[in-house]
Amino acid sequence: MKRLTSAALLLCLTTGFSFAQSMFRGGPAHTGVYTGPAPRSFHRVKWKFPTGDAVVSSPVWSDGAIYFGGDDGNIYAVDAATGRQIWKHATGGPAPSTPAVSDGAVYTLSYDGQLYALDARTGATRWKFSTGGERRFEAKNLHGMLPKNQTIADPFDLFLSSPVVAQGAVYFGSGDGNLYAVDAATGELRWKFQTGDVVHASPAFVDGVLYFGSWDSYFYAVEAATGKQKWRFHGGEDPLIHNQVGFQSSPAVVDGVVYTGCRDAQLYALEAATGKEKWRFDNALSWVITSPAVAEGKIYFATSDSSLYHVVDAATGKSVLKQQDKCYMFSSPAIAGDVVFIGVMNGTLQARDRKSGEVLWSFQTEASKENRGWVLTKDRSFNDPLLYHSAWREAPLIAFGQQLSVGAIFSSPLVVNGVVYFGSCDGNLYALE
Amino acid sequence: MSILFRLTTVALLLASSAFAAAKEMSGRWEGSIQIPGRELPLIIDLKGSGEKELTGSVIIQGLGVKGVPLADFAVKANEISFVIKDALGNESVGPAKFQGSLSEGGDVLSGNFVQAGNSAPFSVRKTGTPQVDPPRRSTAIGKDLVGEWKGDYEMDGYPRHVTLTLANSGSGSANAQFAVVGKRTNKPPVEFISDENGFLTFEAPTFGITYEGRLRKEAGEIKGTFKIGPFERPLVLKRTP
Repeated sequence: MKRLTSAALLLCLTTGFSFAQSMFRGGPAHTGVYTGPAPRSFHRVKWKFPTGDAVVSSPVWSDGAIYFGGDDGNIYAVDAATGRQIWKHATGGPAPSTPAVSDGAVYTLSYDGQLYALDARTGATRWKFSTGGERRFEAKNLHGMLPKNQTIADPFDLFLSSPVVAQGAVYFGSGDGNLYAVDAATGELRWKFQTGDVVHASPAFVDGVLYFGSWDSYFYAVEAATGKQKWRFHGGEDPLIHNQVGFQSSPAVVDGVVYTGCRDAQLYALEAATGKEKWRFDNALSWVITSPAVAEGKIYFATSDSSLYHVVDAATGKSVLKQQDKCYMFSSPAIAGDVVFIGVMNGTLQARDRKSGEVLWSFQTEASKENRGWVLTKDRSFNDPLLYHSAWREAPLIAFGQQLSVGAIFSSPLVVNGVVYFGSCDGNLYALE
Repeated sequence: MSILFRLTTVALLLASSAFAAAKEMSGRWEGSIQIPGRELPLIIDLKGSGEKELTGSVIIQGLGVKGVPLADFAVKANEISFVIKDALGNESVGPAKFQGSLSEGGDVLSGNFVQAGNSAPFSVRKTGTPQVDPPRRSTAIGKDLVGEWKGDYEMDGYPRHVTLTLANSGSGSANAQFAVVGKRTNKPPVEFISDENGFLTFEAPTFGITYEGRLRKEAGEIKGTFKIGPFERPLVLKRTP
């Protein structure tokens, strides 16, 4: 009996552990918290797995395998211990979505506008679901880019929505403006919920409700069973250059409160039941793209242009600590034990002490060290005077492409058994210990 | 040969050599900067002799740099350094700088280009006479613009109050004091002002600020657009009573 109980407990723990690691931000509530040990010092690169293009997707772990998408169009399964490829599955477009693994299936999105359900063991197709088609957020005079009357796709719209699996359904957002609910077993559409613009944030699922933001400037709560709207919250707008609008950050939901970043430069805390604003934390025109991590009454997030790492009190929204970094942060922080891991756009992965915010160690990609074309200043900030010298034609887009060339890290780190996994725009998935 | 004669001769030779070196700097110089993974075409125009008289401008194709003034010349024998005044730098990284020396033949200038703390070799060869772009200069302003103006705009959900004080300096150009009061008070230094028949432009490049507006004399206001970086807001400045 005792043996059986122990075995059952072990099975529960294993299942729980496995489940907790198997979708974006560690689970359907998107807390960004991972169980198990975390390295407080850097020892070595355990392995790196090369792909054909940037890795924007965040890795997830399930039963000893790491799953992620590549901008080279492939979905990958890699042995977590050795870094050897188990399988790859080609899609029809870049795949900067983070897979969800549930009941032996891998669910993920590609820029070909399809949701893929693949066998986790072999990579074989179980089914595919077609959305209304993918697109990036776009606007005229976007970020002040010229010509003013030309619609320009946003290069900073990097991620695709990451599916959440719950109650036998797969929930995800799409560039066609919908949030979809698709039957996990069959791939049949259950319902779709239309918003006014691109949905590339990942919905959080808590107590039968889905929480997500759209680029239409609204944040929504929708009943998972029916697709019926419970409430919506209006974020900021920017009708002139469309810079300060849109929910690109994915929410975390903890203790009845929804925490989300927004491109209107706010971090919002909303009551999950009503959508009423509890507090907002202003970031002075700097986007909050990172999805907040939440642990023990504190919110961890970072900003773009101001390059600040923040910890704020979950109850009040007051600053607990703030650290100036060198470069923009789009990568969502991951908490493991007393360490917070976050990727930086200058090609650096940082491990910070959770309490003090101090950088315990950092890892710099080779591309970042090479700094081809002087993308970075000597102190690893972006070399803006050299990069952004023109707003004409594709100059800002080229500059953005150059920023990626230093191995920018957008991927949210995953921590399993003391190993930190993340993707980089240098084309590698890294495992550090 | 007396000692005095010898010393005089040496002094004259040294002076003439220094003068020759400075003189040789004058010209159009063409070549490139080799930054990692990228070769930047470079044209430097230098005119005059001696660090106090030298003027110059630079062209770096591909980086949007055309005829940008050079400044802070330092010349010592065959060595020269100067900075790019209004491009490839900002408050946090400082100005981009060239540090080079002339070849023995005086036809090649080579050394290091330093920008944002990064350093890379450059080399240019003299190809002809200088074609220095004249620097843009502030103009004087009409008497109807002289005085203090106030206005408001909103950004990031917060109101900002601005005060602009315009005056003529007497040297044929105007000067301005500009203050923006929001959560903090900022006084961006205005480096360029022009008045083209009541169309006012001023720039504070260290903050990425530009304002353009038309004087509406009867209304006692300047109606225009305030830009900071990519952000653009309408801004009407009213004359203070």
